[in-house]
Amino acid sequence: MEFIENIFLTIGALLTNWLSSFLPAWAVTLIMDLLVIIILVLIGVVAVLALSFMERKVAARIGDRYGPNRWGPYGLLQPVADAIKMLIKEDIIPSVADRLAFNLAPILVTFAAVMTYAVIPFGKGLIGADLNIGILYFAAVGSITTLGLMTAGWGSDNKYSLLSGFRAAAQLISYEIPMALSIITVVLVAGSLSTQDIVMAQQQRGWFIFSMPGMFLIYVLAALAEMGRCPFDLMEADSEIVAGHMIEYSGMKFALFFLAEYINLFAISGIIVTLFLGGWSGPWLPSWLWFMIKVFCVIFVLMWIRNTYPRLRIDQMLNFNWKVLVPAALVGLMIVALMDKLFTNPWLAGLAMLAGNLVLILGVLWLMGWAQRRKELAAQKAALQ
Amino acid sequence: MSGIMIEVRSMYGIGLLKGLWVTLRHFWGTIFTDIKKFPRRYPPKPLTRGQPTLIGTFSVQYPEEKLPMFPRFRGPLMHLRDPETGQVRCTACGMCVRACPHGCITVEGEGKGKERRVTVYRYDVGRCIFCRQCVEACPFNAIELSREYELACYDKDTIWDLPRLLALGDRSGVTESGQYWK
Repeated sequence: MEFIENIFLTIGALLTNWLSSFLPAWAVTLIMDLLVIIILVLIGVVAVLALSFMERKVAARIGDRYGPNRWGPYGLLQPVADAIKMLIKEDIIPSVADRLAFNLAPILVTFAAVMTYAVIPFGKGLIGADLNIGILYFAAVGSITTLGLMTAGWGSDNKYSLLSGFRAAAQLISYEIPMALSIITVVLVAGSLSTQDIVMAQQQRGWFIFSMPGMFLIYVLAALAEMGRCPFDLMEADSEIVAGHMIEYSGMKFALFFLAEYINLFAISGIIVTLFLGGWSGPWLPSWLWFMIKVFCVIFVLMWIRNTYPRLRIDQMLNFNWKVLVPAALVGLMIVALMDKLFTNPWLAGLAMLAGNLVLILGVLWLMGWAQRRKELAAQKAALQ
Repeated sequence: MSGIMIEVRSMYGIGLLKGLWVTLRHFWGTIFTDIKKFPRRYPPKPLTRGQPTLIGTFSVQYPEEKLPMFPRFRGPLMHLRDPETGQVRCTACGMCVRACPHGCITVEGEGKGKERRVTVYRYDVGRCIFCRQCVEACPFNAIELSREYELACYDKDTIWDLPRLLALGDRSGVTESGQYWK
């Protein structure tokens, strides 16, 4: 078990030793860093293959049908067919499109998605760069997606694309606030911004999902909206605005948008696992295997949510954010900070935070119901007159 | 306090979770039915299913599993035999030729009176609109519309002759035209 646990580190050490026997030190670090970069990008791309297939199969099974099951046994070669299709499609650029913006947009979006892989802890020593501002880097780089979408909307020179770009920008920048607030809550309790430190804090204090379920829910909802997934997928819903900002794209550029979406999904699931579900910690299996299992469970839950709930309108989405999520996140932050300071014993503090979070969830539900009832009463009164 | 319980049991509270439970039940249903028929994902030779199942996967995997058509389905023409004597019923009277709005049918017969029987019957399935006027017009209940729907072919040779139509009739198990319309 020890061997399997450290297999990647062992291979890395062997390779470094072999290279430094005939290369100067700067070349060795250069090659090893390039290798790490290539591996991280490859994890992203392989994740895309697996996730696009899993998405179609899960969506189909929830709908009482088989997914793709003709290519390869159980349809396992379907992503290969998809990849080949996207590679051989013609790359059409509208003649009136703004060339720079049009070509830059998919690059920006993919760039933002892949850069976030540097701070995800895949295992015990397996992290791209153990920055001590890890989570802040993640939130910052994740925001570049918004720029990419606006650029795509503008560069397509299509008014529907532009409209979709506006809505996408509104949605993405609004939902960054509850996301940042829940990240701050976790960082407060863990004591550090570095992702490896957050995982180790969870090993000592118990998983944060059990002490802060309210903040977990807020983060999951905000992350769903950030990724543009159902029920918040107005940006790219087929029946709404025919692929939104991606209307004019085809061929490899569309493939890059598609890639960026699934890379983002995997990255955000990785961060959910890191922040709330204990990262790579687990009793018996190697740490990177635990991480993968937890990430796939989270991704299954996200796909399950996608295939259950109807879509929200843009005004409902923004209302939900500013009137429910942001106040709830602020109150949750205050509760957690208070409980963290009041109780020095970490387990007692965890219990108190759990109680506070449950009160928060119930309070939010009650307030939402109260607001709904008030609206209905006002509508009834207006109808009577 | 009761206000909070109302909210928890409302649509946003338990309602959301109940929705998730419904979809999960469907998901597990398909996986269990797959496990039950495990080694054979597709049946070894084409079989005709009854009704598609309501629990578990609803799909009928087309080339390997086919659904039977309903009895009054209107497919291409077929010729019927008399069940006791086994002889072709058609006497080449030409009523179907006159009734067809498109002119799909050509007949020739030989013999006179009660022993007259058809020898050549040419039916153009490419032109047929499956309107059933020929079947309604036949005074001997000799023809009926079959339940074939796999009619695609690679050439424009769409004229069917008597042996083919008789084979369709024998395969279908229908003995008298209008059997299902009574």
